[in-house]
Amino acid sequence: MLNEERVILMTKMASYEAGEGKKNMKIGKYFRGDYIAWQILKSIFCATIAFVLILALFVFYDFEVFMQDIYEMDLVGFAKTILMYYGITVVVYGAASYVVCAYRYSKARKSLKLYYQNLKKLNSLYKENLS
Amino acid sequence: MTALLELRDRLKYFYSKNEVFILPVGKFLLAFILLTVVNDKMGYMTRLDNIAIVLIAALACSFLPNFFIILFGAAFSLLHMYALSFEIAIVGMVVYLLMFLLFFRFGPADSLVVVLTPLLCCWKVPYIMPVAMGLLGTPASAVSVGCGIVVYYLLLAVTTSAPTISTMNAGDATAKIRLVIDGLLDSKAMLVMLVAFAITVVVVYLIRRMSIDYSWTIAMVAGVVLNLVILLVGDLVYETNISVVGAILGNILALGVAKLIEFFRFCVDYSRTEKVQFEDDEYYYYVKAIPKMTVAAPTKTVKHINTQRKASGRYDNRSVGRGSTTARRPQESQDDYEELF
Repeated sequence: MLNEERVILMTKMASYEAGEGKKNMKIGKYFRGDYIAWQILKSIFCATIAFVLILALFVFYDFEVFMQDIYEMDLVGFAKTILMYYGITVVVYGAASYVVCAYRYSKARKSLKLYYQNLKKLNSLYKENLS
Repeated sequence: MTALLELRDRLKYFYSKNEVFILPVGKFLLAFILLTVVNDKMGYMTRLDNIAIVLIAALACSFLPNFFIILFGAAFSLLHMYALSFEIAIVGMVVYLLMFLLFFRFGPADSLVVVLTPLLCCWKVPYIMPVAMGLLGTPASAVSVGCGIVVYYLLLAVTTSAPTISTMNAGDATAKIRLVIDGLLDSKAMLVMLVAFAITVVVVYLIRRMSIDYSWTIAMVAGVVLNLVILLVGDLVYETNISVVGAILGNILALGVAKLIEFFRFCVDYSRTEKVQFEDDEYYYYVKAIPKMTVAAPTKTVKHINTQRKASGRYDNRSVGRGSTTARRPQESQDDYEELF
C-alpha cells in the first residue's frame, strides 16, 4: 500500500541527493580540520600560480628597464621583497579560504544532519508499515 | 493583481512542465548572444566570425553545464586577441586565469553572472546586475559581478588599443602588453563601478534580509539610489565620464527588473502578517509569518455528459470521451440529467 507521507519524504530526499546533497556529502566525508586543511592547501597552490602569473606580467610590463636594472639592483633585497609579497598574498588568500571553507563545512553538516534525521524518519515509517 | 498572480502561476506551471526544453533553449540563446556580441565587438579573427561556428558552439553550450558558456566566451575572446597580437592574448589569458584560480573556485554557482554582467555593460544597462544579485544571491555575488566588470573593461581596453596595436611591429611586445595593462588598470570608471556595484550588492542583500515590512522594495530602492550616488560621486572625483542620463535611466530600468524579480520570488501580503509567540523546553519563539500571495489555479473540470438512449426497454448510458459503456438504472440516469441542467 502506498504511504503518501513516505513518498513525499522520499521525493524530497531524492531531490536533495541529486542536487545540493551531492556536494554536501562530499564535504561530510571529511573531518572539519581535514577538510579545511585540504582546501587551504589547494588555495595556497592556486595563490602561488596566481602570484607567479602576476610577477611574470610585472616583469614583462617593463622588460627592457628590468633587464637594464638587473645588473645594478640588489638581487637579495629584490628577492626578499618578492618573498614578502608572496607571503602576504598566500596569508591573505589562505585566511579568506579558511573563512569560506569553515562556513561551507558548518552549513553542509547542518544540512546533512537534517538529511539523516529524515532518513531515520523514513526508516520509522517503514517499520510502522510493517508492524 | 489577481490576473497577474494567475499569469505567474501559469508561467511557473508552464516552466515546470517544459523545463527539459526551456533550459537548453535558454542556454543556447544566452551562448548565441554572447558569442555574437564577442564577434561583433572584437572580430579580429575573421574565420571565427562565422555564424556556423557560433551556432555549433551555442548548441554545445545548450547541453553542457553553465560553466561552459563562460569557457566558450573566454575562448572566443582569447582567439580574437590572439589574431590581434600574441602578447595581448597572453595578457587576456593571465587575467582569466587569475579569476579562475582566485575566485571561481569558491563561487561556480554564480558563473552566469560573469557572462551577464559584460553583456549588460555592452548594452549600457549593467545597473540591473547588482540589484538583482543583491535580491537573489549572497554578498559573495559581489565577487562575480566584479569579475564580470573586469572582463568587460579588459575587452574594452583591447578594442580601444587595437588600432594602435595593429600598427606596432612584432618587436614591440612589451609596449603592446603595457598598452593593454595600462588601459585596464588606469580605468577609473572600472574602479568606480567595482566599488559601486560591490557596495550595492551587499546593501541590497542586508536590507532584504531584515525583518521589516516591504524589505525587498526598500532594499531595491535603497540599492538603486546608493548605486547612483556612488557612480555620480565617482564621476565627480575621478572624472569617469559616466553618462548621468544613462545611469539614471539604467537604474530606473534596474528598479523595474527588481520589481519583476520580487513578483516572482517574494510576492507576499503584508496586510495579513501574523505575529505569534510560543515556547518549548529550550527556547522562546517570536515568529512573524507573512502569507504568500497566491490564487487558486483555475482548474479545468471536464463534465461527462451521458447521452440518454433507449435501448430495448432500458436506459443505456455512455460516458463520453472515455469510451466506457455502463448500464445504469433509470433513476441514476435521471440524476445525471438534473445535475447537468
